[in-house]
Amino acid sequence: MIHDMIAIIDEYWLLLLIGQYPNGPLGGLANTLILSALSIVIAFPFAILLAFARLSSYRALRWPVTVLVYVTRGVPLLMLVLWSYFLVPLLTGADVPSFLTMLATLVVYQGAFLSEIIRAGIVALGQGQMDAARALGHSWFGAMRYVILPQALYNMIPSMLSTFVATIKDTTLGYVINVPDLTFAASQVNNQLLTQPFQVFLILALTYYVICWSLTALTNVVERRITRRRAGLGPRRRGEIALPLTPKVTEQL
Amino acid sequence: MTAPVSNIGNDQTIRLADVRKSYGDYDVLKGIDATVARGEVVVICGPSGSGKSTLIRTVNRLEEINSGSIFFEGQDVHAPMSGRDLNRLRSRIGFVFQSFNLFPHLSAVDNVAMSPIRVKGVPAAEAREKALKLLDRVGLREKAESYPAQLSGGQQQRVAIARALAMEPPVMLFDEPTSALDPEMVGEVLSVMKSLAAEGMTMMCVTHEMGFARDVADRIWFIDGGQIIETATPEDFFKNPKHPRAQRFLADLRH
Ligand SMILES: Nc1ncnc2c1ncn2[C@@H]1O[C@H](COP(=O)(O)OP(=O)(O)OP(=O)(O)O)[C@@H](O)[C@H]1O
Ligand SMILES: [Mg+2]
Repeated sequence: MIHDMIAIIDEYWLLLLIGQYPNGPLGGLANTLILSALSIVIAFPFAILLAFARLSSYRALRWPVTVLVYVTRGVPLLMLVLWSYFLVPLLTGADVPSFLTMLATLVVYQGAFLSEIIRAGIVALGQGQMDAARALGHSWFGAMRYVILPQALYNMIPSMLSTFVATIKDTTLGYVINVPDLTFAASQVNNQLLTQPFQVFLILALTYYVICWSLTALTNVVERRITRRRAGLGPRRRGEIALPLTPKVTEQL
Repeated sequence: MTAPVSNIGNDQTIRLADVRKSYGDYDVLKGIDATVARGEVVVICGPSGSGKSTLIRTVNRLEEINSGSIFFEGQDVHAPMSGRDLNRLRSRIGFVFQSFNLFPHLSAVDNVAMSPIRVKGVPAAEAREKALKLLDRVGLREKAESYPAQLSGGQQQRVAIARALAMEPPVMLFDEPTSALDPEMVGEVLSVMKSLAAEGMTMMCVTHEMGFARDVADRIWFIDGGQIIETATPEDFFKNPKHPRAQRFLADLRH
């Protein structure tokens, strides 16, 4: 059994790592990681914009985004993947590569989740920080940029890391629309071997497990460090992002 | 859009004219008429819920009003104006909060220097140098690199005062600056405020520190039920308050 798995890795490691590349599209683990990283990198600023819209006092901004966030969060990711797969070409008439379809879907999906985390992080800071910044003459965006977001986002680093872990797992759903990722590569291997599905998919599961587990471990370390910072412990140097704390006393109106 | 600067000799820094505000059906401010002269120190006191915080927050438009007007150096604070004009106006009115509201992710010196840099475009080195001077003035030079969580309440409030002063406002507003402090820290904050008053700063202070009011205030506004029901010098106010509710308020405070 172990021997089989080592033999499979020995034979197919390149396919599992980078897919058909350079003779075909980039795939395998490399593509999984690129897809996850790209979707988080794009989803993050997108989520900040969604959170702003959700916090806005303008209904025209708040309502559509609220609906989008609720619908996205209330529907299984697989449904969204299938919708984008069938709807986007229908609407645009263009032949969109499955990688892009999956990327866009993940951006919307993770963006909706992250936006709620960001919104909660901003609300948790309380009105006092915004009031203080506005009273000093900062614009709303200035207050967000220099006062609110540095605190809210720093507090959210653990949540964002766990969203990244979730995204890596979510990329496997790209399989149903033929995104050439690690899962896709593994099933190609399985199709060639035909007789060892258990071994192949155990390798697949282990790979995901190792990646996600190490990221989760990293999340825990970061989380502990942030908790320490909040308690006012731990060394701090100038120029480093420092501990965020909600004010002890909230402004009494 | 700037209202014409037409105020009588311009010695009235702040003028409130029939200011009204309500939350839904509830009238918080029921027609406030008052002025604060240049260099004057006004102490606002009154029972809890009487509208003191609301009143002082309308002066720099942290709260909107329903009717009436508020003039700051002749400019109508609540007139329609661009965001940029409002920000510029606010940057000229220092505000100190009950809960300090220091920026916890910034060191003391950065708390003080940040807004001059980001709002006024002062070069960072210059802003920092000035921030250190201001921290020195509030007695916290050696805490410049400390973060708010490492400071006591009294120290945080003194940094907050320095932060407001960094914008060089001609007026400072205080909303119960010592109410969230342990008793032993009240004095250090009040003495900073006293020294500001001594330097001629125009100040509006909501506070229940009657010792401060007696020593420093030029006038006391007693507010109850959303109205200023008595305006008097500290001497008159403490010796013979005219309004029965002011009498009861003072009697309660002495207990
Ligand atoms: N956002 C709000 N919505 C509804 N009611 C409010 C709001 N803010 C204040 N109020 C009400 O307005 C009244 C005046 O509040 P305000 O905070 O101005 O009183 P205050 O004199 O500062 O009291 P305190 O001494 O407790 O600080 C209170 O009855 C309060 O409940
Ligand atoms: Mg109050």
